[in-house]
Amino acid sequence: MNVLIIEDEKALARELEIFLTNYNYMCEICFDGTSASEKVAVNLYDFILIDLGLPDYEGLDLLKEAKKYNPDAAYIILTARAEIYDRIKGLDMGADDYLAKPFSLLELQSRMQAITRRKFGLKNNVVELGDFLVNLTERTITHNNEIINSITKKEFDLVAYLILHKNRTVTRNQLSEHIWGSVVNDDYDSNYIDAHIKNIRKKLNAYSAPDWLETVRGLGYKIRINA
Amino acid sequence: MKLRTKLTLFNTISKLVIVTLFVALLPVLIKNINQRYTDSRLRKQKDKVLKTVKEQGIKSYIQDGESYAAYTPIKDDYVSLDEDTLAGYLDTIQNSVRKIDGDTIEYRILSHDFRVDNKKYILEIGISVDTVNERSGPLQNIAFVILVGMIILTIIADQLYSDYVLRPLGLIIKTKLVGTKFPNFGSYKQVKTSTSDFRHLDISIHKMIRTIESTFQKEREFISNASHELMTPISILQSKIENMFEQEDITDELKIRMLEMQKILNRLKSITKTLLLISQIENDQFLREDKISISELLQEVYDEISIRLQDKNISYEVVITEDWPLVNINKFLLFNLFFNLINNAIKYNKEGGSIRIEAVKENNAFVVNITDTGLGISDEDLPYIFNRFKKLRQSLQQDSFGLGLPIVKSIAEFHHIKIEVISEKNVGSTFKLIFSGELVG
Repeated sequence: MNVLIIEDEKALARELEIFLTNYNYMCEICFDGTSASEKVAVNLYDFILIDLGLPDYEGLDLLKEAKKYNPDAAYIILTARAEIYDRIKGLDMGADDYLAKPFSLLELQSRMQAITRRKFGLKNNVVELGDFLVNLTERTITHNNEIINSITKKEFDLVAYLILHKNRTVTRNQLSEHIWGSVVNDDYDSNYIDAHIKNIRKKLNAYSAPDWLETVRGLGYKIRINA
Repeated sequence: MKLRTKLTLFNTISKLVIVTLFVALLPVLIKNINQRYTDSRLRKQKDKVLKTVKEQGIKSYIQDGESYAAYTPIKDDYVSLDEDTLAGYLDTIQNSVRKIDGDTIEYRILSHDFRVDNKKYILEIGISVDTVNERSGPLQNIAFVILVGMIILTIIADQLYSDYVLRPLGLIIKTKLVGTKFPNFGSYKQVKTSTSDFRHLDISIHKMIRTIESTFQKEREFISNASHELMTPISILQSKIENMFEQEDITDELKIRMLEMQKILNRLKSITKTLLLISQIENDQFLREDKISISELLQEVYDEISIRLQDKNISYEVVITEDWPLVNINKFLLFNLFFNLINNAIKYNKEGGSIRIEAVKENNAFVVNITDTGLGISDEDLPYIFNRFKKLRQSLQQDSFGLGLPIVKSIAEFHHIKIEVISEKNVGSTFKLIFSGELVG
């Protein structure tokens, strides 16, 4: 899939490019609005990531302009100016999602995947994990057709996030940012992820051992799926 | 006490003192005046009698050596003329008692000796004291009424004038000081006054407000700009670290050190995000259009936070006697308010302690009490708990940076929620949130 990254902060743009390329996206970068405006008029993209704080261009104007030439692309707004009215305006003008800087790259990728599923209607949303079936659309985990009801919303979020980034170590920090990202709070080291994982393992163990959920010592967790 | 009230009070009291003094002195004064008047009448009568004697001779009064006496039927005055056998010459006016036709009456008496035809005569003219006093009664009353009337008039006049003169001061206090919410002062409107002191006061207050306002504004802008500007470098660092994790050829040891970097970066991010949030709240960049019932909101917070109770084995109880819908609120902000308060209740609780959240209606106010069995806050720390970056001694070993309660305070102020804190050291704390009527649908 083709991605256009419009971000004036060069170092950040490069990191986005490295990360997304790693996830098999084809990336192009623009450091300013003028070149971006030229690019969107000529090329077709699946994803356009727009930084709202461009020095030479009003970000929302660029969004409007890009939508004219690339009506089918998915738009994600990136900004450090996290003001609420910007958020509402951006979504009103047809942005598909919004990420406030600083954001986790994994979070960006999971948002992009969510949009892909939505836009392209991917039906195959059931993942097989050992004896368990995880349905990402219905948000259920089943064992021999029996739904495991004891799994809470948070716990499912964690499993789903690990599935999305399967076969990669997701650090505790990345997991807690995903789970508690919207909470503004006083702790900087509240690592309750371990407690969540412990609960998940205990609940699943009652049915079958979840060997696929691995602890990466000192770092975080990983879900192994053999493709 | 208000200046106006004080002036009125002083006016009234000072006048009352004058009235009392005057009323007390009035009988003495009137008596004095009356006596002088009586005495001058007596002298006039004496002069008349002497004149008659000079012109017509003593015979017009005394014939055949008998004495002369004349008085009115009610005996309020009398004149008597007689030969005087005593030595010396009398010429006095004094009070004395006389017996006339069996009646004993006190008189003001003028006694005067004079010689005619080589004989000495004594003239006595008397006016009864009762008559004199009868005249002074009405006089006293009239004087009293006029006095009281004048006093009332001056009190009213004083009152009206002080009202008029002090009105600008009242206006300055009412429009510039009382009910002015810092730091939103609004626009300057000059108070009309011809009193230069008040004009000076008005202008000085205005200047001070401007200074405070611009300082406030600068501080807000600084925090807002600084936190915004910090976001981009943090963002770059975070992405760089995350990308490094993706690389296969990095040893585990290095990865653990990278995780530590990520942790520290998270801390920086948290502080910056929190400061930015506070500045956004203070700059009114949030809407208040959401609606949620208190039970729903508390449930959402519980879903997020329940995992943290597990660690310390803390029991958690929510009692909602009357569930009410919250309106005109920002859900995201209120969620964070409760999250931070309950998170603190967990963080500073003891092993196996408890948290009780109670939503009640208390004298027409809607109140949420969050009570913990934690460390408590000492009295000397209590006034500072809402200050930014203020870390209390007992929280030093906790992973916090002293912005939890400042967020709570900002969010509460934004929603006009009042917070009261009751705390006892080593027993626990209760945070009481009082919701104003506008927030309850």
